[in-house]
Order: sequence, then C-alpha cells, then structure tokens
Amino acid sequence: MTMLRVRDISVRFGGIVALDGVSLDLNRGEILGLIGPNGAGKTTLFNCISGVIRPDEGSMFFEGRSLRFAPPHERARRGIARTFQNLQLWGSMTVEENLTVPMDALGRRNTLSDALYLPFSAYAERASHERARAILHVLDLGRYANALAADLPAGIQRRVEIARALAMRPRLLLLDEPAAGLDAQETSRLADLLRAVRERFHVSMLLVDHDMSLVMRVCDYVYVLDFGKVLAKGRPSAIRNDSKVVAAYLGEESKEPSAQSNGAAAMTKSDAPLLEVTGLAAGYGHLEVVRDVNLTVRPGEVVACIGANGAGKTTTLRAISGMIRPRHGRVMFGGHDVTGSPAERISRLGLVHIPEGRGLFPRLSVEDTLRLVSNSTGHEVDLAPAFEHFPRLRERRRQAVGTLSGGEQQMVALARAILARPRLVMVDEMSQGLAPTVVRQLFEILRVFREQGIAVLLVEQFVESALNVADRAYVFEHGTIASEGSAAELRRNRKLVAGSYLGTAVDEPAAHANGNGHAKLDPDLLEVVSVKVPAGLKRALEDRAETDGRSAGAVVMDLLEKVER
Amino acid sequence: MTSRLMVRICVALIAFTVLARIPAGFDVGFQFDAALAVILGFGLLSLVLLTGYVGQVSLCQATFAGVGAYAAGMTASTFHVDYTVAIAVGVLAAFTLGVVVGLPALRLYGITLAIVTLGIALVFDRYVFQDRIFSWFTGGSGGWRVDSATVFGLQMDSSKHLMAAYIVLLALFCVVALLMVNLHSSGAGRRFRAIRDSELAAATMGVNLTRYKLLAFGLSAGIAGLGGSFYPLVAGSVSPQPFWVFTSLQLAAIAVLMGVRYVPAAFLGGAFMAFVPDVLTRFGHGTLFGRYSYDISYDWFQIVVGVLLIVQLILLPDGVWGDLRMRVMHARSAMQAVTRKRVRVA
Repeated sequence: MTMLRVRDISVRFGGIVALDGVSLDLNRGEILGLIGPNGAGKTTLFNCISGVIRPDEGSMFFEGRSLRFAPPHERARRGIARTFQNLQLWGSMTVEENLTVPMDALGRRNTLSDALYLPFSAYAERASHERARAILHVLDLGRYANALAADLPAGIQRRVEIARALAMRPRLLLLDEPAAGLDAQETSRLADLLRAVRERFHVSMLLVDHDMSLVMRVCDYVYVLDFGKVLAKGRPSAIRNDSKVVAAYLGEESKEPSAQSNGAAAMTKSDAPLLEVTGLAAGYGHLEVVRDVNLTVRPGEVVACIGANGAGKTTTLRAISGMIRPRHGRVMFGGHDVTGSPAERISRLGLVHIPEGRGLFPRLSVEDTLRLVSNSTGHEVDLAPAFEHFPRLRERRRQAVGTLSGGEQQMVALARAILARPRLVMVDEMSQGLAPTVVRQLFEILRVFREQGIAVLLVEQFVESALNVADRAYVFEHGTIASEGSAAELRRNRKLVAGSYLGTAVDEPAAHANGNGHAKLDPDLLEVVSVKVPAGLKRALEDRAETDGRSAGAVVMDLLEKVER
Repeated sequence: MTSRLMVRICVALIAFTVLARIPAGFDVGFQFDAALAVILGFGLLSLVLLTGYVGQVSLCQATFAGVGAYAAGMTASTFHVDYTVAIAVGVLAAFTLGVVVGLPALRLYGITLAIVTLGIALVFDRYVFQDRIFSWFTGGSGGWRVDSATVFGLQMDSSKHLMAAYIVLLALFCVVALLMVNLHSSGAGRRFRAIRDSELAAATMGVNLTRYKLLAFGLSAGIAGLGGSFYPLVAGSVSPQPFWVFTSLQLAAIAVLMGVRYVPAAFLGGAFMAFVPDVLTRFGHGTLFGRYSYDISYDWFQIVVGVLLIVQLILLPDGVWGDLRMRVMHARSAMQAVTRKRVRVA
C-alpha cells in the first residue's frame, strides 16, 4: 500500500523554480531511489517531506494523513526520519548522546524531572542509553559510542547519521546522499547495510544519491528528477538504459563536434605546461577527498574535469587556487611552485578561480563588481571589453548583482575574470542550477576565453557541453583521475563516459556487443569504464598490461574469463 | 551516574559552607558586595542556560532581573505580604517576560536576536523603569525605598540582616547551579544542546523547537529574576540604575569572558563584577612614591573588562573557566598516561 503520497509539489525560491509539480508514491517496505543532476531539486523535495520548508503548492500524505500543517517534530513523531547531505550531527555530544536525543524527544520527557534527576527520568535515561548502545552495536559503530561526533571522519559521521535516524524507530527513512565521499568498497558495504536495515527494522526508504552503483543495487524503483520535474520513473534496469536519463546527465548529444577545438589543441601541444599538478592530495579535517591527482593545462587550452558528484573535482580546484592547503604533491603555475601559497598570491600570478556559487557580492551593482578588478590590480581598468563580450550586462550595469538571474550572474563572474587578464581561469560548475538554453550561451562565451589565449580549467556536470568546448578532459572517480584523453576521443566513447556517472553496469550490454564485433575498440572502452577500480589496482593492471604488451582492458578480460571458468 | 550526582551534591555543599563564612569577618560594604556578587551570579547563570546550553543570544538579562526586583519589591511594600511570596511573584513576572521575549527568537538568530533583545532592554530602561508614566509603579528614576520586609514572620532590615540574605542567596544559587549541571547531562539538556548544535537536525529528530526555545527563555529569565527579586531585600531600595542597559551588556561580556558554557564560571563572573569596581573605588586612588597622584576609579572597570575580553577572545576562546578546565583535564590524562606506562614497566 502507499505509505507516502506526494502530489504536485511546487517550490519556488525567488525567481528560481526548485520543484515544479512533482508527484511521487512510496509503498510500504520499498526502497525508492531519487536521482538527477545537481540542482534538480532532490534535497528540496526532502526538505518538503521532512517539513523543513513549506511547499508553495501541492499536498503530501503520510499513511493516509495530510502532512500539510505538521511541523518537523510532528512528522518525526509520525515516523519520518532523515539524514543530511551536509552532515548535521550534534558535534559537541558523544555519538551515544546523539542517538538518545531523538529517543527522548519522542518519549515526551519532563524538563523539571530531568533536572531534579527523579527516578522516572533516571530509569528512562538508562533505557535510552542501552538502546543507543544496542543500535550502535548492530550497525558496527560500537567503538565510537563515547567519541565526540565532531571528531569523527565524515564517513563514520554519515553512518552515525543513519544510526541516529534509526534510533527514532522510523517508518520512513529519508537518506540524502549517504554514499557521498565513500569509496567503492565502503559504498558496497553501505548497500549491504541498507538492505539489512530494511530486513531488520522494517523501514521504507527514500534514497538520494549520485552513486548509481548504490542506487541500482538497493532500490526497488527509481524516480529521475531534472529541473524540478519528474523526468522518468521505473525499475532500475529500465532507468539505466533510458535515453532521456542519459541525456539529462550528459546534456544533449551534439550533432557536429567542433573541429576548431582539436586544431587549437594540436597548436598548443608543444608549449610548456601553464599549470602542472603532480601527485596532489587534499581534503577537509579527517577526510581525504582527493589523492594522486596528476593534471596539466597548457597555455590557451580548454580542459574539462568531469565525473560524478563527490569525485573530488571541486576539491582539486580549491587546492590548486590555494583556498585549501594540499596535503601532498606539487602545484606549478607559470613556472612558479605555488603549492600551499596563499590564494591572493596565486591570483596575482594570473589564475582566476570562479567557485561554485560564483563568489559574487549580491548587493554591489554590476559596474562596481567589475570595478573591483581594478582595485586588485592596482590601476583603473577599462570596462569596455567586458560589455563588448556581454552586451546584456551593459543594459544592467546599475542593477545589483543579487537581483540578476542565475545566468546573468554567471556572466558577471566571467566578465570579471576576463577583465583581470588572467592566464588561466578555473570555472566550477558553471551551469549549476541554470536552464539548458542559458547553459548553451555560457559555453559559447568560453570560446571568447580561447580567442583571447586564456586557458580554461572547467568542472562541469553537463559532460556533453563541456566536451564540445574542451580540448582535453580528465575523468574523476572516487577522488582521483580515472582516465584522460582528448575531448574528441571521449566524445566518441560517449556511452563510456556515462559509465562514470551511471555506474559501470550501463555498459555491460555495450561491452558484450562490442566484445564480439569490434574487438579493437573494446580495451579502450574498458579502460574508461574501469574507473570503478581503485587507483592502486588500476596501476598494477597497467603494469601487467605493459609487460604483456597488451592493453589493460584485455588483461581484465582475460582475468574475468579465468574467474568465470 | 548516581555516583556522579553524589559528587556534584558534595561539591555544592562544600562550596556553600566555605563561601557562606567568608564575608562575615568583613565590613558591611564587603558583605553587600558579596550579596550583589550572588545576584549578578544568577544573571550570569541565566546566560549559561540560554547562551551556553541553547545557543540563543540575549542582551536583556539585567532587564529580567530588574523585572524580578520591581515585582518583588512592589508586592512586598504594597501588600505587606511575606517576602517569600514576593520572590515567587518576581520570578513569575520575569518568567512571563522571558517567554514573551522568546517569541521573536523563534524566527531570529544571532546578531538580529541580539539587537532585538538590546531593544527590549532599552525600552524597559527608558520607558518602564525610568519613565513618568509608570512612576506610580516604579518610582521613576529615583526608585523607592523598601524599608522593611518580613520573611517567615521575622522582620528583616537590609542593613542588619545582610549576612542572612547573603546566605539564603548563596544556598539558592548552589541549588540552581546543581540543577543546571544536572540538566546539562540529562535528556532535556541534550535537547537544549541539540538546538544549539543544529536546529535543523533537532527539529527533524522530534525536538519541538517552539516549546524548548520558549522554555529556555522563560527559565533563563526566571533565574535572572530570582536573583533580582532579592535586590530590594539586600539594597533596601529599588532603582533603575542597577538594571539599566549597560548591566545587561556587561553581563553578556563577563559571561563570555568567564566561559559561557560553564556553571562555575557564573559564580566567578559574579564575584568579578561585584568586587572589582568596589576595590577600584576604594583603593584605586592615592599617591605613588609620594609624588604621583593617581585615580583608577570605577570608570576604569569598563576599560579593564574591555581589554580582558579582547585578551580572552584571543588566548582563551572558551573563557577563563573553560580553558582552566581543559588544562586540568589535559594534565590529568597526561598523568594517567604516565602512570599507566609506569605500571606496564613494573
């Protein structure tokens, strides 16, 4: 029977439509997957269901009762628990205390009797601590019981979030990217855990994750969101091969790959690298997000970094531009060693980093924002070139940046980058939260950079658009670069790049088909797809391939055949 | 758990017996300072609950204390009831105001909430405690005298029974402090701390934000009001001056200085606020080497607090008590490590 019924939910933030008439049904005992590109509205939907934000339109029913006027804690009492994408544990408490809060909160305990330590409270206290320990034991977290939540590595914190949600004895569990930042092995353990939880605690789940291998493994049914709408729904096997879904993740397939880009790549190939990153490792707190990243950008070249969410692209950019300190490795920019240099020094050398969210000041006017560039270089800058490339900004020069549309704001960020006359611009998720038409315009603008001889390092979810404009690309997977190649090459192996987003399973049929017909293409194919393999293993495979004089893909195929026998 | 409770009770008892005897040997001025220290200690304790536990900012704690003082003094001198009843009325009045002030806190955070509470402190200072409209009630800027009060039928005179008032205050302070330490580690305390660490998570994990935020504001105001309602008894009069805006600001500054998350820091801060200005005015002037005359009177107190606050924020971010506690804990664990090593060697 239907446990959660969501009907025509719409949410608008200012002018942005985050959810547009989404309907969804979740049956009792089901694990429902919710996937979609960045900014598709998945977390917004979670916030609606858990009551954190109120939808502008639509209705929700949980076990037959309307959720319309229920505040968050009331929904928790009815049995809806959730985890958070950006971890929200109570950091100053121990893990065990974290688990007892939801238990007590549901038990309607009395503040005065707690403070007086009356026998009733003391008894309840013991009971909830015992239950907390039991849950931690079941989830194999027992040894962290007395550690402060804030001190734990992010991966453990994610598991504690799940444990805390389970402590509420929920009927419905909303999991927001539980696999973010986990490596392949941890992800598969998480999949086992989720299935065990369903068996043991009889919990229905709604799962948002970018790791398709997880979604495909545990979900009974999958909804695909794109630009706030339900794009497709169906069984995982059907979703996997849905052309619409592949397009949503990779962008529209281009008709004519631009020949010009390849020419430019050939032209600049001989130059010394402008940016050279070797063996880079970086992370936050206890979490190492990227390791072993080797990457070069030559002058005037457009290079794209693609890969699933949480694969480490953004962290790599941040480590290059000095926003975080690299832990290992070396960053050379324009002949200077800038490893761990302060961000302002690196930017003075001619490296502009446009971060996710664009890094603009919402209350400044367009003109003033652009004038800031002159302040940082020390002399007044002519704004004319910016307005020449972006005529739309000339019309809105007096408008506050915060009131512009998302696409126009991105234009301001790009215009500011051009005025700074950099040698390299790094753009992070330029198209995030923007409509496809706007995205296309912005990619056109990237060509302007190329014409001016400015190199571009691009992090992008829309793979197809990125590959159209780029000369070369790096494919990130699980915190390291899994493969690289010219954009044209990767574009040809379009389906294979999809592997890094939708899980390798996508390409199994393709691999088999190719295995019979085009034996030559197949090894390359596997090389791109084998991104699921940890870096160390991959290197071993490559060594083996080298000594055997074959491609790594062929070695894998041999091994697989041996295993089958 | 229970053994920890016994330890806390013992610590509170020892602190009470030691502190209750100290002012007896000094002059009346010193005894008044001691009583004032406990009253201010209540104000700081209320901030420990509100800011330290629940993470809500408030710059009107002295106003809560003032409401307690005015309500209690008024009840005692108008209706000539027993002063214990007057205290109950004072606490109740402060609690009610606290809940009302808590209403905007349901929507506001951080700096905005600070401004709103500062506004409330200003309004009460200028337009309730001092204004002529309410002077029939508050006595205007001059206040009024509370000549005598009865406690359990006994006549109390502020000048003669200062020590008695101090001891009762101190006993109450120890009880409230004990309750608050208990609260911290109890279920309700965890709900409060959950709101501080992540409101979002607290709400979605079943903590009723409305209820617990209002409760926190009410309890906090009630604690401040409890201290304040003793003021007429101790000072023999009620006037706006002790409860004006700057006392609120000073309470907030001292709470941060001493460690806003720790109950003992409240007593430390209260003593600091009561004694340092008095010592400065008493001994802060004279001549140095028979030639240089100097005068570090009360005005200097503000500067001292300001400088200390800056130094503390840089060097001891968790406050004086918080830092002290951390050092002791580190030393203890280091010592334990050494002992363990020795045992292993042996």
